[in-house]
Amino acid sequence: MGQGGEPRRAQAYDGELGAAVARAQQGDEAAFAVAYRIVQPGLLGYLRGIVGDDAEDVASDAWLEIARDLGRFKGDGAGFRGWSATIARHRALDHLRRQRVRPRAATLEQDVLELPGPSSTHDQALEALSTEYALELVRGLPRDQAEAVLLRVVVGLDGPAAARVLGKRPGAVRTAAYRGLKRLARQLDGESVTDEDPRTLGEST
Amino acid sequence: MGERENGDGTPGRRRAHPAPGFAPGAEADAWSGSVAGVSGAAGVAGVGDSPGLEALLRTALRRDPIDDEGERRAVAAFLAAREAGTRRARSRRRDDWRPREQRRRTRTVRTTLSVALASLTLGGVAFAAIGNGGPGPDGTQDRPSSRPNPSASGAQGSPSSGPSTSGAPSAPAPADRPATAKDTEAHCRAYGQAQGRGKALDSTAWQRLVTAAGGEANVRAYCAGRLAGATPETKPSKAGGAGNEGNAGNPGGTDKGGDAGKAAAGQTGSDGNGQDAGGTGGVGKTNDPGNPNDPDSPNSSQGEEELTRR
Repeated sequence: MGQGGEPRRAQAYDGELGAAVARAQQGDEAAFAVAYRIVQPGLLGYLRGIVGDDAEDVASDAWLEIARDLGRFKGDGAGFRGWSATIARHRALDHLRRQRVRPRAATLEQDVLELPGPSSTHDQALEALSTEYALELVRGLPRDQAEAVLLRVVVGLDGPAAARVLGKRPGAVRTAAYRGLKRLARQLDGESVTDEDPRTLGEST
Repeated sequence: MGERENGDGTPGRRRAHPAPGFAPGAEADAWSGSVAGVSGAAGVAGVGDSPGLEALLRTALRRDPIDDEGERRAVAAFLAAREAGTRRARSRRRDDWRPREQRRRTRTVRTTLSVALASLTLGGVAFAAIGNGGPGPDGTQDRPSSRPNPSASGAQGSPSSGPSTSGAPSAPAPADRPATAKDTEAHCRAYGQAQGRGKALDSTAWQRLVTAAGGEANVRAYCAGRLAGATPETKPSKAGGAGNEGNAGNPGGTDKGGDAGKAAAGQTGSDGNGQDAGGTGGVGKTNDPGNPNDPDSPNSSQGEEELTRR
C-alpha cells in the first residue's frame, strides 16, 4: 500500500502540515490557515464524490467542527488528514441522511451538462468538464468502492488510515479501492459506460 | 488490450462521452496505460499499479482553487473556539491519530486494566450463573412438594380425620387436572354471552365445547347438565376426606347388617327346620349352608323322600 504518487506527495506535505497543526493547537490562527489550505483540496474532492454539489457546504460544517475540536486532536500531519476526513465523512453522512428525507431535484446528468461559469476560458471549460466527468465516474461506483478510491487517491490516506476513516478492516478497504479503480479503468477504456448499470453490486471480474 | 483498443477506437469512444477533455493523446495514453496496469495486475495490490489513473483522478478532483470565503470562515471558527477555551478539551479515542506504536504504548496500561476488569466481570457472571444453577433444582424440587400442601391441609382441615385417608384423595386431584371440567363449566357460563358476537364461537375452545355437546343445538342442554352436575361435584372435591370417610363407613355398616341378616335368616331357617321338618323343605334347603351343623336337615330331606315314596 502507498506506492502511489499521492501518498508519497502527501507525505512531503505532511511535515509542514504536522508543524502547522501543532502551532494551531497552540493558538496560532495563521498556522490553522496553512493547515486549511493543505487539507481542504483533498477534503473537498472527497466530499464532492459523496455529496456532489453540496460538498462546499458540508466542508464548511466540517471545518467548524475541526476548528472546535482541534484541541482534542493528537497526531502528526498524516494523522490530521485522517482525523479531518473522519469528521468530514460524518458531516457528509448526516447531510445524506437529511437529503433522504428531502430528496434533491438535481440529477447527475444535469450536473454534467451544465456549463461552467461565464468567466471561464475555453481551456478552463474543458478542464472543468473533465472534472465533472471524473466525478460522474467515481459517483457511479458502489459507495464503498468510491469512498475507498477517494480517500486513497484524492485525500491521500494510506491503507490503514482510510480503513480507520471508513470503520472497516484494511483488507476490505484495499479490495474496494482495487475494484473501484479497475472498474473506472474499464469504463474509461470505453467498455459500455452507458450500457452498464453503475450501481450493480458484487461485480468481481 | 489497452494498446490495441487505443489504436483503432479511441476517438469515437471519447466522442461518445460528454467529456472531450480526455481526448488529447497524452491523457488517453495515460488512461490506457493505467488500464493496462490494472488489468494486467496479477495481485490484489493493484491500487499502486495504476499511477496514471490515480494521477488523473487526483488532478481532476483536487484541482479547485480554495475559496477565500471558506478559509475565512474556518479561521473565524478557530478564533471563536480559541476564545471559548475548548482547546484543552479531553481527547477521545477517535481523536488520537498518532502512529500505532505511540498509541499502543499509551494504551497498554489502560488496555491491560480493562481486559483484567472484563475477565473478572465475565468470571463473576459465570460463577454467579453456576451458583444460581446449583440451588435451582433444589428450588424446583421444593416447589412441587410445597404446592400440594395447601390442598392437602385444606382437605384435612374440615373433616379432621386421619392424614392417610385424606391425603390420598387430595394428592391425585391436581395431577388429574380437573380444570377441563371447570373449563367446560366456564365455557358454558360464557356461552350465552359469547353467542352472537362475531366469530368468537369459531375459536377452538368453543368448537371443543360444541363437539362435546354434540352440535350447537345441544349446547344449552349439555351445559345445563354440566352445571347441574358440577355444583354437587365441587363440594366432595373440597371435602374429599369426609366423603371418603362416609364411603369407608358405609361398607362396614352394610357388611355388619348383611352378617346380621344372614345370621338372622340362618336362625330363622334353623328355627323353621326345627319346628316343622317336613312342611318347609325348600326353605330348609336354602338355609343348609347357614346351618351346616344342623343334623336334622339331611335327615328331614331323607324323611321327606321317604314320605313321598309312601
